[in-house]
Amino acid sequence: MKGIVWPRFSHGAVMVFRRDFLAWVKYYKSSLLLNFGEPLTNLLALGFGLGMYVAKMDGVPFVDFIGPGLLAVTAMNAVTFDTTFGAYDRLNVNGVYESMVTTPLSAGEIVAGEFLWEACRSLLYGTVFFIVLLALGLVHSWWSLLLPLPLLITGALFSAPALFVATKAKNNEQLFYYFSLVITPMFMFSGVFFPLSKLPVLIRDLILITPLVHVVDIVRALILGHPTDSLWVDAAVVVAYTVGLSILPATALKKRLTG
Amino acid sequence: MLHQTATTAPDVVRVEGLVKRYGDFEAVHGVSFFVSEGECFGLLGPNGAGKSTTIRMICCLAAIDGGTIHVLELPAFPGNQAIKQQIGVVSQDDNLDPDLTVRENIEIQGRFYGQSAGEARERAQELLVWMQLESKAKAQVRDLSGGMRRRLVIARALMGKPRLLVLDEPTTGLDPQARQLVWAKVRELKSQGVTVFLTTHYMDEAERLCDRLVIMDHGGILEEGPPDEVIARVVGEECLELSGISEDQQVQLARHLGEAEVTFSEWQGEIWAVFGSQLDRLLQRWQTLESALPRFYRRRASLEDVFLRLTGRDLRE
Ligand SMILES: Nc1ncnc2c1ncn2[C@@H]1O[C@H](COP(=O)(O)OP(=O)(O)OP(=O)(O)O)[C@@H](O)[C@H]1O
Ligand SMILES: [Mg+2]
Repeated sequence: MKGIVWPRFSHGAVMVFRRDFLAWVKYYKSSLLLNFGEPLTNLLALGFGLGMYVAKMDGVPFVDFIGPGLLAVTAMNAVTFDTTFGAYDRLNVNGVYESMVTTPLSAGEIVAGEFLWEACRSLLYGTVFFIVLLALGLVHSWWSLLLPLPLLITGALFSAPALFVATKAKNNEQLFYYFSLVITPMFMFSGVFFPLSKLPVLIRDLILITPLVHVVDIVRALILGHPTDSLWVDAAVVVAYTVGLSILPATALKKRLTG
Repeated sequence: MLHQTATTAPDVVRVEGLVKRYGDFEAVHGVSFFVSEGECFGLLGPNGAGKSTTIRMICCLAAIDGGTIHVLELPAFPGNQAIKQQIGVVSQDDNLDPDLTVRENIEIQGRFYGQSAGEARERAQELLVWMQLESKAKAQVRDLSGGMRRRLVIARALMGKPRLLVLDEPTTGLDPQARQLVWAKVRELKSQGVTVFLTTHYMDEAERLCDRLVIMDHGGILEEGPPDEVIARVVGEECLELSGISEDQQVQLARHLGEAEVTFSEWQGEIWAVFGSQLDRLLQRWQTLESALPRFYRRRASLEDVFLRLTGRDLRE
């Protein structure tokens, strides 16, 4: 198909990853703090506070139920914030991407590099949150050792639409639309706080075609230790989303940078 | 319009019938020129003339809507890596990476060109020393002065060991010291065999640095050639500026313009300027007139005169 650009994983992409890492090293402390304030508050206030009044969810205490969900959300948000605002600046404010394409790097390689970096970010922030869960006694299974895999994919998955939005946004404010219209609703309805089983079928099906709910399923199954066969469906959806969405930012970025 | 170079060496840049449109607006229409190996070539023109647009197409950063560009004998099109690997680009707008230090900015550039870590480190160090930025290697780029930033951008563009260096207004906003340094570096690069393609709004800069230049306006080319030839052809060798004269006096004096090879004369505000060659004959003639010769200032004609003659004195939007 003409005009469609795929991310290109190459030596150049790894160097874009390296650039992001070098930049991150300079502000990682504040970045970690920023990304943990909210989920930690949710976990403590809702999990332990509200949890006192809530009966078990799906057979587990409330705090054990939302812990894994919040881990998935932490990974998604860490990636989404960084990609939307960061990429918007790199594209529109300080010309970092513009400068990159004057070198042999292509738009596809830039996008691939961002995916690689966001995959690692997701892994990193997810892992730190995992350690918090561990310390609070909310991890129940050795299956958790498999978490890096879904975390890496989650990073790439959510960086794709975020990068696309950053490429298309006309101004900084438009980025907030993405949060209030896409990210926050997904956060509230993706089975983080309550299981989908009691929702009307139509609404449930609607939710099931979004990606976060599947990530939450996988992460929760691994941490609570009851993986079922339906995880393969979750995994398939997540991978399909990751691959499908990955053409959006590469195509848009190429158009923006060399139009 | 076909140009033939004296040497048989292939052109580093060959632009033929280049067209660029933004919607209905044709920003570049039918531009042709060439840049020979090892020369410093200048692209001049007022704001909005189409210089940056032309440069972006040469650097494989923008689609070409008509005509062709060959860089190092390869066809230019957006994203042509074979060309991008062999050129260094300094964009008009500052685009250093604010999240990286000075050294990281330039080292990572080498990696983008495919260099190993060791190779990039070594070359970065060389270039930092060369551009007198070594003491700032650990600084964040936002802490640099304008002149330092520009020097860093130029150093960065050299990381890939380019055969062609493209500089879009490399000295805009720099103080005289920093400009002098950039000039010296450009000359040094030239002596090392690097072909340099630059744009500038400083006519003295173009006159000093460029072996050949093109003046463009409204997306088309107006003049082309070595600076001294262009000056001689368009305005002549020198200029007489007469101040404090009335229009009557001017009419009197203008009767004798035929004494010299006058290319043209014009009012520039309160000053009446006469351009041409062998103007001393004109002066001698004027001295024989009864009325006293008004105050005058005699000077060599410059590229600035050419520029204003060709592109007019009106401000551009
Ligand atoms: N992306 C764009 N979309 C629409 N018009 C554009 C775009 N880029 C440039 N132009 C127009 O094309 C014309 C040429 O612009 P260009 O930037 O090439 O000029 P320039 O010679 O580099 O000027 P300056 O000396 O101010 O840098 C201008 O009229 C400009 O407004
Ligand atoms: Mg310009």
